[in-house]
Amino acid sequence: MANHEQVQSSERIKRGPAHEGPRNHFIAFGISMALTLLAFVAVATPEFGNTFKVGFIIILALIQAFVQLAFWMHMKDRGHIFPIVGLATGFFVFLTALFMAVKLLWW
Amino acid sequence: MSSHDHHGGALPAHPETATLEGKNKVLGFWLFLGGETVLFGTLFATFIALRNQVLDGKSGEELFSLAIVAAATILLLTSSLFSVLAVQAMNRQDVKGIQFWLAITVLFGAGFLGLEIYEFVHYVHEGHTIAANAFGSSFYALVGFHGAHVAFGLLWITLLIIQLSKKGLTTVTAPKVYVASLYWHFIDVVWVFIFTVVYLMGKVG
Repeated sequence: MANHEQVQSSERIKRGPAHEGPRNHFIAFGISMALTLLAFVAVATPEFGNTFKVGFIIILALIQAFVQLAFWMHMKDRGHIFPIVGLATGFFVFLTALFMAVKLLWW
Repeated sequence: MSSHDHHGGALPAHPETATLEGKNKVLGFWLFLGGETVLFGTLFATFIALRNQVLDGKSGEELFSLAIVAAATILLLTSSLFSVLAVQAMNRQDVKGIQFWLAITVLFGAGFLGLEIYEFVHYVHEGHTIAANAFGSSFYALVGFHGAHVAFGLLWITLLIIQLSKKGLTTVTAPKVYVASLYWHFIDVVWVFIFTVVYLMGKVG
C-alpha cells in the first residue's frame, strides 16, 4: 500500500539513518568555497597568461554551477529526471548558440 | 521535538510534493528558472559584447576591488548553504529550525546587498554610472538585475518566515519553503557567473 509505505518512510526520517542529512551539503559548500578561492587566486597570480586565466575561471564556474545544481538544487536526488532533461536541453541550446556566435560570426 | 504541535503530526514524508498543487509549484518554478536563465543569458551576452566600450571612463580593471567581491561572494555562498539547511529542517518537520535558518539566510543576503549598494555608490563617485558608457549600462543592467533578485528574495523569504509562524508547516507552506530555497540557490549560481565573467575577467582585462 502506498499509504503504508509513506508512513514507513516518514518513520525512517524521524529515526534518521535513511535520511540524507546535511553532510553532503557541507561537502558541496566546501567544494564551492575551494573553487571560488582557486578562481580568485588564479586571477591574482601574475605568472599566468590572460587566455589561460579566462579559460580556467570559466571552467571553474561551470564546475561550481554543476556542483550546486546537483547538491543544493537536489538534481542528484531521486525523481528529478524531468528537470535534468530540461537543464541538459537548455545547456545543449546554449552550447549551440555559443558555437554559432563565436565560431561562425566572429571568425 | 515540539515540531509536532504545529501541524498535528499528520504531515507526509515529502510535504513539498505531497499534493498535486505542490508538485505543480515545483515544476512551474523550474520552468520559471529556465526563463530566468535565458533572461540572465541575454544580459551576460550583452555585457560580454560591450564590456570594453568605456569611452573616456574607467575600465573594470581600474574600478573593481577584488576584496569586496570576495567578501560578497562568501556572504552569498554561505547564505545559500543556510537556505539548504532550512530545507533539511523541513525534512525533520522542525518549524523553528526552518525559521532560524531562513532568518540567517536573509541576514547574510542583506549583508551581500549592503556590500553591493556600497560598491555601486563608490563607482558612481568614480564616474562609473549607468549612462557613462556602454560598459556602465551593461554592467548595471546585469549586476543590478541580480541585486534586484536578491532584494526580492529577501522580501519573499522574510514574509515566508512570518507565514510559517502563523500557519506552521503544512502541505501548503512546505512547497513555498522548498521553492524559495531553489530560488535562493539560483541567485547564488548566477552570482558564480557574475563574479567570474564581470569581476574576475574584468580584472584580467
